[in-house]
Amino acid sequence: MDEEAIIYLTFAAIVYVLIIANVGSFGGGIYTYIALILAFIGIGLTLVINFADFVLFPAITGLFGITFQPYPNYKITKGQEAIVKNVNGLYYATGFITANLFSFVFKAERVQENEDEKQVSATESWERALMSINFPFKFHVISSGLDVQRVRDDLDGKRAYQEFQLSRSMQNTNINESVIAEIQRKISVIQARIDRISQDEKPIATLMYVETTAVGVSEKAALDALSAQIKQLQIALSSLDVQLLRIVGRELYTLFKFNFGLPTTYEEAATNFDRQT
Amino acid sequence: MDKKIFVFLGLLGISIFLLIVDISFSNSALAPPYKILLLLLVVFFDVLAFSSRFYTYIMMPLITQRKRHVVLNNEDAYWLSGSSDAILHKENDEFTATVYVKIPLYRSGTEMTREEKLEFTKQVSRLVGTSKEPARFTSLLYVMNKDLYIQNLRDTISSAEHRESELIAGNAPQNELERVRGQLNMWHNMLDNVGAATSLELMIYASVSAKGVKEYEAISAAQQRARELISGTASIFGVAPSIVTGDAILKFVEPEFLIPYSTISEQIARNVREQVI
Repeated sequence: MDEEAIIYLTFAAIVYVLIIANVGSFGGGIYTYIALILAFIGIGLTLVINFADFVLFPAITGLFGITFQPYPNYKITKGQEAIVKNVNGLYYATGFITANLFSFVFKAERVQENEDEKQVSATESWERALMSINFPFKFHVISSGLDVQRVRDDLDGKRAYQEFQLSRSMQNTNINESVIAEIQRKISVIQARIDRISQDEKPIATLMYVETTAVGVSEKAALDALSAQIKQLQIALSSLDVQLLRIVGRELYTLFKFNFGLPTTYEEAATNFDRQT
Repeated sequence: MDKKIFVFLGLLGISIFLLIVDISFSNSALAPPYKILLLLLVVFFDVLAFSSRFYTYIMMPLITQRKRHVVLNNEDAYWLSGSSDAILHKENDEFTATVYVKIPLYRSGTEMTREEKLEFTKQVSRLVGTSKEPARFTSLLYVMNKDLYIQNLRDTISSAEHRESELIAGNAPQNELERVRGQLNMWHNMLDNVGAATSLELMIYASVSAKGVKEYEAISAAQQRARELISGTASIFGVAPSIVTGDAILKFVEPEFLIPYSTISEQIARNVREQVI
């Protein structure tokens, strides 16, 4: 959870704290319980919006049949899973898949033991995947350089914390061997990253996603074809060891807007994507 | 300050105000059922306030339009710059210029040794880390535009059909008629074959954006970023990337340019013929 989320949650929680603290002033008896139930419903909804708005938002628009026009000639469907364009009676439906939306180098939680082998096989896996696809798609990688000193400081801090945990675990006689091994592994991962920076490798943050377009003589035909294409892409690209989830909701709108203008700073790109990762 | 902060604070303020009103009134001044109704509004506005973190862009259009099809934007998503080498997008009185750079990379893993593959993946990693500002690298697979070829075939067929009817009307020798019919058959077969399968092309390109309060400011900043990207890419791969200009940009932006109209209409017509006959 990022700082912005914490600030929003804290301010939103003030209302519920006030309700619970003054629960007796809503009439007493059964009304006290109703007030409490309402407060908990509000807390529940806030948490759902914070952690799973990509489930709630399409459910609401789907239920009420709400569609959006982001720009002339384009329509975001009520399920929030595709953007449709009508051109001369043909419908072009565009959908997006996360290609893990993970950080390519520095945020990876583990160092691959056989990293060279993986890199060698990456080109073959990619070409095999391409050969099995017979429809248009785009594989996008948005990358942004990070501040070297800041990343270095973060890593130093993380290493110091893990070393502290290790020394504490060593002093504890009842500690499991596997816990110590896990901490040592984390330290070696952090050290490997520090070494890479020391060798002049630039830390970067990346955002990866796949965009595909299907065509049909009706909106439904285009959407059905799009769903089939997305399933095919998920199978074809699975060999690349990436998490492939269909993007729905507001992130679909954000990625669609990237076609007309990219984020110009890392912060701008990062704040749009803190879910579905 | 960001617009969404004002929306959040406004909605939260309404929620807290209603809550204070609700708590302040005694049970005799406001009956408990009305207090609960007021509390329902408090929770509603608080949830709405929190939702504004993600959904400010749809809240106002949704409230003001009160329709199932909500128009978020009635202006064109982008337009081509006067110099034809960038697209411009306007949002909140700020212009975003995006420049596209074609990377002519035509290497295949099948013709590389193990060391070359390893080197290639490292080069790709370096490419992704070229730019300090966000840059997007895309691998685009699209349907080859066979419109002109198909149109030529159709023209040839119609002229052959015209020739056939002329020969029939003029009582031409049978062997001459057979020869024209044979040609006609050949062109029809060729048209069927061309339309039967989609031919795909792969292209790699990069895109960078820059913002500015004036169009030219955004364009020149984006071009500067593109030039940096070009020099970085050229030094990594030893190729000559170039800025994409004119209509060629549309392939990166508009879905219908990924799947050319007549190529696809030929396929659809063929599919319908197969289903019907």
